[in-house]
Amino acid sequence: MSLAAEAFVSQIAAAEPWPENATLYQPLKEDQILLSDCASSLAVQAYLRMCGLPVQVVCRANAEYMSPSGKIPFIHVGNQVVSELGPIVQFTKAKGHSLSDGLDDVQRAEMKAYMELVNNMLLTAELFIQWCDDATAAEISRPRYSSPYSWPLNNILAYQKQWEVRRKMNAIGWGGKTLEQVYEDVSQCCQALSQRLGTQPYFFSKQPTELDALVFGHLFTIITTRLTSGELAERIKGFSNLLSFCRRIEQTYFEDKSSST
Amino acid sequence: SVTSLDSIPMHGRDLTVHPDDLMEPPEQVNDSKQEILENKDVVVQHVNIQGLGRTKEDLLGYEISDVFHSKNLIDVMRKAHIARQRLLRLGIFKQVEVLIDTSEGTDALPNGLDVTFEVTEVKRLTGSYNTMVGNNEGSMVLGLKLPNTFGRAEKLTFQFSYGTKETSYGLSFFKPQPGNFERNLTLNLYKVTGQFPWSSLKETDKGMSAELNFPLGVTNHTLKWEGVWRELGCLARSASFAVREESGHSLKSALSHTVSIDSRNSAIFPSRGALLQINQELAGYTGGDASFLKEDFELQVNRRLFWDSVLSASLWGGMLYPIGGQSSSIADRFYLGGPTSVRGFGMYSIGPQSEGDYLGGEAYWAGGLHLYTPLPFRPGRGGFGDLFRTHFFLNAGNLCNLNYGDGPQAHLQKLAECIRWSYGAGIVLRLGNIARLELNYCVPMGVQSGDRCTGTRAGHYNSKLL
Repeated sequence: MSLAAEAFVSQIAAAEPWPENATLYQPLKEDQILLSDCASSLAVQAYLRMCGLPVQVVCRANAEYMSPSGKIPFIHVGNQVVSELGPIVQFTKAKGHSLSDGLDDVQRAEMKAYMELVNNMLLTAELFIQWCDDATAAEISRPRYSSPYSWPLNNILAYQKQWEVRRKMNAIGWGGKTLEQVYEDVSQCCQALSQRLGTQPYFFSKQPTELDALVFGHLFTIITTRLTSGELAERIKGFSNLLSFCRRIEQTYFEDKSSST
Repeated sequence: SVTSLDSIPMHGRDLTVHPDDLMEPPEQVNDSKQEILENKDVVVQHVNIQGLGRTKEDLLGYEISDVFHSKNLIDVMRKAHIARQRLLRLGIFKQVEVLIDTSEGTDALPNGLDVTFEVTEVKRLTGSYNTMVGNNEGSMVLGLKLPNTFGRAEKLTFQFSYGTKETSYGLSFFKPQPGNFERNLTLNLYKVTGQFPWSSLKETDKGMSAELNFPLGVTNHTLKWEGVWRELGCLARSASFAVREESGHSLKSALSHTVSIDSRNSAIFPSRGALLQINQELAGYTGGDASFLKEDFELQVNRRLFWDSVLSASLWGGMLYPIGGQSSSIADRFYLGGPTSVRGFGMYSIGPQSEGDYLGGEAYWAGGLHLYTPLPFRPGRGGFGDLFRTHFFLNAGNLCNLNYGDGPQAHLQKLAECIRWSYGAGIVLRLGNIARLELNYCVPMGVQSGDRCTGTRAGHYNSKLL
């Protein structure tokens, strides 16, 4: 669709209230989903819960291919299909739900900057560890990614994905990094986040924003996911205020459903 | 090079009377030598093939051996003609000429004959280049063919199609059994992309197949294994969610069997004969994700009526039965509608649909009754006018999904309700032996909500190229 058409459609969408049957799609939780997708999906789920918008989580083996942008997660609301946190935040804003309305321009710019930091550092580090580290790729990523398919399609798709991610890593300059350097980068990112958070409950004082949802999604998933090496989780656990931040959000927004994450 | 094949031992002069001898002798020719040879008992001593290059001799022995059994001249001519046809159908000779002459040489008999086939082999490599335009897309098609690749009528073909929207290619190897050309094996390797706007779907298939053809009595059988990696995607952002749910990759590994009996005198404009073709496909037992059993059949009967007109009745149908509890894929289901099945309805635009995208169905049937007559007043008779026919038709069909838990009674009932049908008339033009062009006036009836008709309900003109 052209930009004008998209703008027109989102105007139409704005007129409709949030339906009861909104659905969020992600890959199969038990056998298929990988760390990066799980983190992104959890971030969107946290954001929607913070907005008080009900959404049902549905797992599909072909969720990645169903998504209009090829990225997980995506939501199906009414007739609309929107993927990734950024566009979803815009979409809910058009419907009148927003978490960052109370922020002034300076704070909003700061929030965007930190979200960029998380996407460029944490998300990229997750992808690197999953696909560029041979041990993790062979033991966890490739088997999980290819689990819904039969031979030889499973191998073809897994290697195709691996080559694609490695090519992207090379393009952004991460191709030559070692695992140690990536862990260092993650530590530095967490340092920055920890400093910004300080002793506040959320990044922008009392109310959570989309930044809180994004940070929670990534940190909580890293802490609770078992990888070949527990180093990454350990680095994050070193920041106590981030740990208590994750626990707080989990208790506030996810405790009502035991099988929520 | 000259190849000569020694004759089988002769059994001595045959003095019995042949039924052929009682035939009317062909028209008198003044050549006295020809008169002597007419209807005289002969023995074929040598059968030669001249002009062979890469073709292997053992292949040709089977095709021409029958000529040795000739007992008289007319028999020789007839059998030589048949042998010539057999040599031509191998597809490895551009030209075959037959020479029948009296035997010469030390072992020549007084009534001995030598038959020589002078052949011209086809070139080792032929190329073709076409451009095609249609369906909002243009493409260049490049073809390379290596006929008679290893000398035994094998054929290697490569086709590459580069279009504004998709690229496809295919490699095919054909090998007939020497002596039994109708028994052959074909191996295929291909990548094909297709766009289906009626379903807002695009499909890329990468696969390979192995196919064995053989005749059994009057029937022709085909056994095939096919392994395909299918990738489905939405054609547009506005595709319905039902089609979006089908996006992704799947692997189909299927065995199929087709049996067909064809006694028609033409595939495009048959005036007599019948066709029966039954096809079944079983997927999932040789690997892959897709698992189903698919059956379909086609029946066509043609009969010439008074005044040079032809009545043609056809019926086809099929059923898809998913195995193992998973639902069927949009790529495996049947589609109905359009100028090849039920005229008056949009292309494949009948049956289950979601937001305007047609999802296909698991069971269908379609039938047609056609009457072809020469153009009224027969303009251009004997020439151009013979390519045209007037055409009256009645089409009907139904496409739906079945609940496999119910019994066959319920299935028949479901297929019998909500029948779509149409009637009309038009003009058909035959284009060579491969295609037909139709211009029809058509009235669609029994239209269900969701179906798409071409034009207004009251009737419209449509044209199609088959």
